[in-house]
Amino acid sequence: MTSIPGCPVYNSLVLEMSTLSSRLLPGSCLLLLLFLLLPATGFAADWTTPEQELARRIAAVTGPGAVAVDVMNRSSLGKKDVDEIGGGLRSRLETLGLRSVKPEQAAAAIKVTLSENLESYLWVAEIQQGAGEFSVVMVSTPRVENGTLVGEPAPLVIRKVPLWEQPQRILDVAVLEEASGPSHIAVLDPDKVLVYRFVEGRWQPEQALAISPAPPWPRDLRGRLVSRPDHLFDAYLPGVFCQSSSRAPLSLACHASDDPWPLASGSTLSSFFAPTRNFFTGVLAPGIGKQKSVAKFYSAAAVPRPSYTFWLFAGVDGQVHLLDGITDQTARWSWGSDIVGLKSACGSGWQVLATPAGNGSGDSIRAYEFPDRDPVPVSQPVEFAGGVTALWSEAQGTSAVVVSHNPVTGIYEAFRLSIACGQ
Amino acid sequence: MRLSGFPLLVASSLVLAVAAGADTRPAYGGTLHVSVGIAPRSLDPADTSEPDSIGRRNLMQLMFDTLLTVNSQGRLQPALATAWQAEPGNQRWHFSLRNHVHFHDGSLLTPEAVAASLRTANPGWKVLAAADSVVVECDAPAPDVAAQLARTRNGIAKRSTARNPIGSGPFYITDFQAGKKLALAALENYWGGRAYVDAIEIELGRNGRDQLIALDLGKADIAEVPPEQAQRAAGEGRRLVTSAPVELMALVFAHDPQSQDESKLRQVLALSIDRASIENVVLEGEGEPSGAILPNWVSGYAFVFPEEQNLLRARQLRSEVRQAPAWDLAYDGSDSLARVIAERIALNARDAGILLQPGVAPGAALRLLRIPLASVDPRIALASVAGFAGLPAPRFGVGSGDEIYQAENAMLETHRVIPLFQLPACYVLSPSVQGASQGRAADWHLEDVWLKSKLP
Repeated sequence: MTSIPGCPVYNSLVLEMSTLSSRLLPGSCLLLLLFLLLPATGFAADWTTPEQELARRIAAVTGPGAVAVDVMNRSSLGKKDVDEIGGGLRSRLETLGLRSVKPEQAAAAIKVTLSENLESYLWVAEIQQGAGEFSVVMVSTPRVENGTLVGEPAPLVIRKVPLWEQPQRILDVAVLEEASGPSHIAVLDPDKVLVYRFVEGRWQPEQALAISPAPPWPRDLRGRLVSRPDHLFDAYLPGVFCQSSSRAPLSLACHASDDPWPLASGSTLSSFFAPTRNFFTGVLAPGIGKQKSVAKFYSAAAVPRPSYTFWLFAGVDGQVHLLDGITDQTARWSWGSDIVGLKSACGSGWQVLATPAGNGSGDSIRAYEFPDRDPVPVSQPVEFAGGVTALWSEAQGTSAVVVSHNPVTGIYEAFRLSIACGQ
Repeated sequence: MRLSGFPLLVASSLVLAVAAGADTRPAYGGTLHVSVGIAPRSLDPADTSEPDSIGRRNLMQLMFDTLLTVNSQGRLQPALATAWQAEPGNQRWHFSLRNHVHFHDGSLLTPEAVAASLRTANPGWKVLAAADSVVVECDAPAPDVAAQLARTRNGIAKRSTARNPIGSGPFYITDFQAGKKLALAALENYWGGRAYVDAIEIELGRNGRDQLIALDLGKADIAEVPPEQAQRAAGEGRRLVTSAPVELMALVFAHDPQSQDESKLRQVLALSIDRASIENVVLEGEGEPSGAILPNWVSGYAFVFPEEQNLLRARQLRSEVRQAPAWDLAYDGSDSLARVIAERIALNARDAGILLQPGVAPGAALRLLRIPLASVDPRIALASVAGFAGLPAPRFGVGSGDEIYQAENAMLETHRVIPLFQLPACYVLSPSVQGASQGRAADWHLEDVWLKSKLP
């Protein structure tokens, strides 16, 4: 068995062999590279191989002849796939000399069940020949996960573009270069920053930059990538700060640090992050007017006004704190712990994206505006398959990166969110 | 004025403005109170004198790390081992160990300590310590070694005769009163990230009624509910969490059939049982009637094994045997569900001409057992059931679905095991418990649980 230097080596168990990654990037230590710039209306799965294999196994039991085939679904596959598989299987049986006939005319009755287990789809054929001859054959095939995009009605629409997904936790994604879309990105995970370039229609890993030293990270680890004009990016993690070099081949210099993290693009406001927790301590640098601190908080968003800016802080105490340089008002809205402010060409020109309160299996983000000091929703929620684990603004301030953890697939999915004007 | 055209959205904002905290992201602090039925005398994960159960495994996971874990998709994940690899033939396995991990007493978790721990739990293995790894050698090809090391019985423990075993898990022991109480505190520098709650207090050996009373009085945040009472608990408005089926209830014969007639009688018994009625009436719809050893969510083919009652066929087979001896059917006297089900089975069997005498008689040739799902790896799960039934452990190659099906089919054809039901594990949670995403295998992961703020 060979391994790639520097990459964890996983046992070649059947459990591991069926992962999507092994089909996409054989030989790579990256478990999954899947970039979806196309509207994710669902993949057209290719069932050819398992259809052929199951047909071959059935034919090995029955031999050529007249058979009655019944296909039923006990899996999470949709009707379209089930119909496609049923049709494909019958035609492959036909090519092996098994003609589909009515049950009363058949020499063998074949009941095919499209099932699934934890790891994969399992297609089971129960073959009854004559009175007592009963056989079971089966094939397994890896699951295909579909992505979905939610089309949003007016007034404003949150555009959600898939950016990246991988099994390991994504803390942040920074778009380093853009052509017609992102063409050079950095993905921050708990161990490293992975840099990818879009070449010849696919994402190619360019460099993996280890984060070292990496102390025992807190649970619910958070981290942030910030693009910089004089070098490529900075990475902020609890108790650790990393700075990239300016040109390729990149290097990443990390050191223990309790320097404050920037809170929003286009602002100098920063706050200190608790090195063993998942929140900001509330100590602000340089502060908002005379206010140098706020209650411990998870995230912050600026709301510019003509003559001043007020800030929103999603507090650990469950309240939203509004700071305008003089007063600290608290409010209980139905917001979750992740908020971010975005510039746009729509509405008032400035929206706040916020997750909702609660702990459902899925999550969503909605845009709000502040005609006064209370939020007014201005978009429908955009949905995610799992809980939001990160929400950070991007360098230009016109878009944000959101990461959600899909509880079904176990995959972390990063999207770019921006505001589009409604019709 | 752009917004004036959207009164519905404005109205919805008022609805949304109901008091609710920004509580999506986990919060730190507090003590979690748990009430459970198991009453362990020992906290050694490898102690085979303690009956294996889902509850025991959940306790052990709090204190002891394993080299690997299994995620919700059934895939192995790094834990104390960061990488692993089998040599060709699957007899020799290498596990690279995570650096800078400490036991709760502050001592470094070394390859020697890991090897010693694994040797205690697996006397049949040769476990060697290397510079930064351990090597497991088996006498025969063992493709499931990595999956075995994800089992809590292989939790890494530092043992001594004078005290409780010491682990490296997310919580350390602050107080243990055998069979009564276990108090744990969060390890601040846990390699996997400090747990959200500061401490866990677990009341042991509580019956179901006491557990629910504790929950109602605010003295427990998590309590167990027997599957047959789950619907009632949900109907009473309790927060119920139910796993996938993780426990097989089955009839197990102590010996192979001694004759063709005895084989036939065992088939008669299997065909006579009306699992659907028992599930409806006794289990109140919770649990799955099953003719298979493995639950379908693990194997994917359980439906191939029939579970329907077939009295016609049962009577036909019975008529082919002249004499049928009466069988004692033993069940656990402390298990009220088992008693009721044993009595129902006896009634069904009588309809087919078989006489069963339910009771708690030890040493009976036929037992009604609850067998916890040993692993989401079907090879390990089947081997575990084989152990309960006194059957030889099945051998596997690559572990394909077809191979596992053949092994299960072969076990059923011995007529030593008659599967009855696949039962879930059910818990009720207090409103303050957040992040309790119980896995399908009923694993708690209390290190990921946090307590909702009780601020106004």
